[in-house]
Amino acid sequence: MRRQSFLLGGLLLAEIIIFSLIGTNFLTAANGFEMARSSVELGLLALSLTAVIVTGGIDLSVGSMMGLCAVVFGFLWKDFGFSVWAAAAVAIVIGLAGGALNALAIAWLELPPLIVTLGTYSLFRGLAEGLTGGVQYFSGFPAAFLDFGSGGQIAVFGVAILFFGVLLHTTTIGRGLYAIGCSQSGARYAGIPVARRLSLVYLLSGLSAAIAAVVYVAHIGQAKSDAGTGYELMAITAVVLGGTSIFGGRGTIGGTLLGLATIAVLQNGLRLAALPSEVSGILTGVLLIGSIAIDRLMARPRKASVTNEELDVKNSQVAVLSAVILAGALIVAGSNWWLVRSVRVVGAKPAGAKITIGMMPKTKGDPYFVSCKLGAEEAARELGVDLIWDGPTEMDPAKQNEVVEGWITKGVSAIAVSVSNEASISTVLRKARARGIPVLTWDADAAPDARDFFVNQATPQGIGYTLMDETARILGGKGEFAIVTGTLSAANQNEWIKYIKQRLAEKYPEIHLAVIRPSDDDRDKAFAETQTILKVYPKVRVVMGIATPAVPGAAEAVKQSGRKDVKVTGLTLPSLAKPYVHGGTVESIVLWDTGNLGYLTVYAADAAAKGTLKAGVKEIVAGRLGKIEIAGQQVLLGAPFIFNASNIDRFNF
Amino acid sequence: MLLEARGIRKSYGGVAALRQASLELRVGEVHAIVGENGAGKSTLIKILTGAVIADEGEIRLDGVPVVGHSPLKARSLGIVAIYQQPALFPDLTVAENIALASETGGAWRILDWKKRRLEAREVLDQIGARIDPECAVSRLSMAEQQLVEIARALRAKAKVLILDEPTASLTEQEALRLFEIIRDLRGRGVGLVYISHRLDELFQIADRVTVLRDGTVIGTEEMASIDRAKMIRMMVGRELSSVFPKVDVPIGEIALETEGLTLRCGEIVGMAGMVGSGRTEFAEELFGLRGGRTVQIRGRECHINSPSRAIELGIAYVPEDRRRNGLIMEMAIPANVGLASLKKLFLSPKAERAVAEDYRTRLQVKAGSMTDPVKTLSGGNQQKVSLARWLATNPKVLILDEPTQGIDVGAKAEIHQQMCELAKAGMAILMISSELPEVLGMSDRIAVMHEGKIVRVVPRSEATQEIILALAIGSRAA
Amino acid sequence: MTRERSALAAWIVLLALLAVLAPAFFAFGNLRDVVLSMVPVLVVAIGMTFVIVSGQIDISIGSQFAVCSIAAGLMAVAGLPMVFVALGTCVLGIAFGLINGALVSWLGVPSIVATLAMMVAAREGLRLGTGGAWVQNLPSTFQWLGLGQGAGQFVILLVAAVLFGVVAWAARNVAGARAVYATGSDAEAARLSGIDTRMVTLAVFAGMGAMAGLAAVLNAIRFSDVQSNAGVGLELKAIAAVVVGGASITGGRGTLVGTLIGVALLGSIGPALTFLGISPYWEKAIQGGIILTAVMGEAIAARRSRLSGRHA
Repeated sequence: MRRQSFLLGGLLLAEIIIFSLIGTNFLTAANGFEMARSSVELGLLALSLTAVIVTGGIDLSVGSMMGLCAVVFGFLWKDFGFSVWAAAAVAIVIGLAGGALNALAIAWLELPPLIVTLGTYSLFRGLAEGLTGGVQYFSGFPAAFLDFGSGGQIAVFGVAILFFGVLLHTTTIGRGLYAIGCSQSGARYAGIPVARRLSLVYLLSGLSAAIAAVVYVAHIGQAKSDAGTGYELMAITAVVLGGTSIFGGRGTIGGTLLGLATIAVLQNGLRLAALPSEVSGILTGVLLIGSIAIDRLMARPRKASVTNEELDVKNSQVAVLSAVILAGALIVAGSNWWLVRSVRVVGAKPAGAKITIGMMPKTKGDPYFVSCKLGAEEAARELGVDLIWDGPTEMDPAKQNEVVEGWITKGVSAIAVSVSNEASISTVLRKARARGIPVLTWDADAAPDARDFFVNQATPQGIGYTLMDETARILGGKGEFAIVTGTLSAANQNEWIKYIKQRLAEKYPEIHLAVIRPSDDDRDKAFAETQTILKVYPKVRVVMGIATPAVPGAAEAVKQSGRKDVKVTGLTLPSLAKPYVHGGTVESIVLWDTGNLGYLTVYAADAAAKGTLKAGVKEIVAGRLGKIEIAGQQVLLGAPFIFNASNIDRFNF
Repeated sequence: MLLEARGIRKSYGGVAALRQASLELRVGEVHAIVGENGAGKSTLIKILTGAVIADEGEIRLDGVPVVGHSPLKARSLGIVAIYQQPALFPDLTVAENIALASETGGAWRILDWKKRRLEAREVLDQIGARIDPECAVSRLSMAEQQLVEIARALRAKAKVLILDEPTASLTEQEALRLFEIIRDLRGRGVGLVYISHRLDELFQIADRVTVLRDGTVIGTEEMASIDRAKMIRMMVGRELSSVFPKVDVPIGEIALETEGLTLRCGEIVGMAGMVGSGRTEFAEELFGLRGGRTVQIRGRECHINSPSRAIELGIAYVPEDRRRNGLIMEMAIPANVGLASLKKLFLSPKAERAVAEDYRTRLQVKAGSMTDPVKTLSGGNQQKVSLARWLATNPKVLILDEPTQGIDVGAKAEIHQQMCELAKAGMAILMISSELPEVLGMSDRIAVMHEGKIVRVVPRSEATQEIILALAIGSRAA
Repeated sequence: MTRERSALAAWIVLLALLAVLAPAFFAFGNLRDVVLSMVPVLVVAIGMTFVIVSGQIDISIGSQFAVCSIAAGLMAVAGLPMVFVALGTCVLGIAFGLINGALVSWLGVPSIVATLAMMVAAREGLRLGTGGAWVQNLPSTFQWLGLGQGAGQFVILLVAAVLFGVVAWAARNVAGARAVYATGSDAEAARLSGIDTRMVTLAVFAGMGAMAGLAAVLNAIRFSDVQSNAGVGLELKAIAAVVVGGASITGGRGTLVGTLIGVALLGSIGPALTFLGISPYWEKAIQGGIILTAVMGEAIAARRSRLSGRHA
């Protein structure tokens, strides 16, 4: 155990050294503060999970509980007029209730924690989605609350560290938890109230998740059902990395903090070194395996799990440890170097040199944004600027904030963001502007005072109306249609649906919307959903897919069903729709030239950095696009474009 | 000569477990091995079965040296061991368990379940075990599981059968049947190695005995030419005045009263009965581990529904299974000793260590260091730590469940000594034991359980082995 | 009532509800499509059954599925005949499985940790490598193996059915499979019986990988292109199906038939909700509720029988 902490401490040190060399402004107080601030939610979960895992259990439901508490919090504040603190109190009660459900099943019914919390993981998230219809989210919280979220949460974290540290390491309750982890029946026969103790750790877990939810909402300014997605696995990683045995009976709070720090530093450092965020995911996995493997390889008869003696390290062990830490540092440095060569971005930027533009999509994996990136890179080449293309790999508003924070620390020349979540990003964008960095949004906007300009391909209203009009045209003015959307909580799609419904109500009284089904951005799911739709709603003649994978998925389903009377339309990349357009299943799709959007954004950002694009300017020249009109603060690419059989082959994205 | 081991040496990290151990097993012989815990018996067995490789020395089977030993090789050579803890697969059926031990062949072999069932049935009948081959092993009792293990070994056509404390969980009847089986096997030419602490048994069943002490073979004798006292002397290296140093102690007031039993201060009540008669269940009920029980403590009626409540009321229970229930194997001595006495909110490591040290001296616990996990201790010392934990709670009523099971003679005597001193100090002790001599030697009164009920409480003066046994079996002749 | 039977009962109740409220569910076309969509989950759950029975767990198969799908597409684009594409994909899956198995059996990393790391590394690695691009312009022999929709669907169902039948039979009658059960029941006893538990663990993870690869192929050939991010959440679906079907998460117990029932039950919920007109927002909550009910129901029943007077 000590050995692993030692190893981990060394690794952390190595990380810090390497990143202070290759990352810009890594070793600054501001950056350190930022790192601490963004790790609080994860840290709270990791602290309570340490206690759970020490007893030999596990809790996969903590991330989902965050989502549930966040939406309850939002509801009570917005719709019921509770004060922020009263709403928080109720959210905490919800957390305790969820923890109690876990506790009942695990401690009293003696069910395996993995399965129970797998069930509650689904249940809590499902309740959150059900309550909000997946759609609703809450924002606009009072300034005092948001101020708490820009630093106050560190104090909360500190209290939590103290609490769990004292609980696990100095109280008899903690001793009992370790005993339970080593041998549950042994603990029972020793008079330890096992069911009560287990209930306690699961209740604390729920409580922690609830507090983390409140912190999350304060931090990013928005309460939505997807809060905390994926956090449970990250928290478990931090705990296990920190030396806690997944089987129970071993582990320390200090170790967990070390594990947390190692992950946080890794993610932050990689970002500041302008390396793609996937690398941090891969490296975290490698670290996790590596630290356990090394511990196992050097295993000797273990010391007792609970002792009060001094650290006892022999000389030979020190030598091996040093060698391992050195090797680890070399591996990280080496992989950085290799990656730096294969990715066309640069780390440090001396003053007065090249312009650096930080450009962020909503998610990196979406083919739509991939096609935008191609145009952006083309523009960057033409202009001779450095382009940092980074963002979350999944829809994660908190991650977007972190990336921007990193860019601010790094000191980029301009920032351009496609916003996942308006409320949360606006705070950090305002901060960037306050530091003198021009901020643009593209594809999806933030609050107007948080950015200088918005590069707009088309308004949500324009998109929604065009989609509805196309559908109406295909239906011939009357009939039924269905919508296959992305995820239920995606802001963009929900905006478009709003305008589709509006247009439908205003202009097409004889058309009826049969159903809206989610595809979770999974082509295979869109396929399955469309198959079902065709059977449950046989009168549907048009399926409108409004997420990139939804159109090809729906089209394939329609094609395979042999229903020649049904057509598919929607919003997707021409390349994905092409085969179906030629095959006749897809009548048309609505989009815009995504490459041009990326291209224009980089030109606009470059102009903003140089000072050419500022308030009051009516047009800019954007390379091969020529003169681009600016209306107010919107840089307009143009109207939505309709792709169909007659023109789709001209496009390559 | 069937099996020969010569000059076996084995050390674990500088500590010698066996030095110059030798064993000779003839065809058709029952050869007993005795020795205190830590004498090296289990290490020798592990070397014979290939689970552990000796540092030096040679093993020969039928005169042929065994090279490259391993559990798999042992199985193929026909060397089978049956340990105290059944090594069966709890989720699989009896038939499958029996089959797995004797079937050979690759992973792609196709199985014949009908054949498996028939063969299992056949071998179970051979030992008179009325067990359904299709039953999952987890549903069988400890005794039944051991019978399955023996059936398994029979099926595997063992040449050498090593039995480690085989009668530990068997009733007298089952033990006698086991001896019959052993004699039958012996007649067929199987060589049996028999390890037991129940020295009297050996006179019934063994031909020769080898005594181990501190990793060395002290000597091998014919059973006919040795007596109990000499065996003990060889094992311990000293004369033991008496195994049961029971002295009479003035009996005080009633400490605990419950349905069928009264315990008084200073009294040792032994609890006898067949395996499965419900003695452990009775004790666990008194301790609040199963459901609730209402008892009278010093006149007041109390309901015990959890171990912590029992501890509050001054009741302590040292369970039978040390490894699973009696101790936390991964924790060190001080943590284990203090585990039942965690009254305050905060730990006090210094006080804990002091208490542990105190009991270490008092109970003469031999341990490497106070920071080692207790799993490194020998059985006897583990039992002492287990006892220390409960003594630290200052109980008025102490329940001991098989306190000296699987423990060497020396440690046994020490524990009995402790019990007498505790009784003298006014503690009421309930001692569950399957060893009749121990029950008769240590108890003031003997409660006999049969099928879940206490049928009679016999005062020491009236008790004989026959009477107790008869009551335990349930015959009316008592 | 065993968990298998209660899962079966729940499924029958669901079907009965559908029969009354939405009989269109039982149209041949719909049943065929619903069953086809369950095929990848079933294939993966078959592998997962052995993993869980051996006492381990594998949460990386969704990522393996994604990588294998893309690999299949790339191999087909490169011109390999479909037979080799299928084989190659399975081999890739086996390679992943061997890495997991080696981490668990040789390095002694607990399986939840090892497969957690693999899950993140594989998916992130895939994204880094492909940049999120789909594999398009597949040869005509890719979709439906070039056999056309009807025959292709039949082949998929046939392969799944044959696989299930063979594996279910083997689980009971092939010595190697019984070794998995033995290892999961008591690894130490298995070792003493001469079973090489390290090999068992390795084989179980390798088999899991092969299943992930096979499932990826069976799924990919239904379409004319390969998406970049397939199989998200697949491992949870498989684990839930195996557990709802009666396997013990601690190992040693579990049947293929039970897994099949679990897949059928959990896979029917989505379409059933649409047919019954229930809002999709509640799907996750219902799935979680079913898992909990299945598991808690059995425990409550067991508890009641334990407490209602049984002396040892």
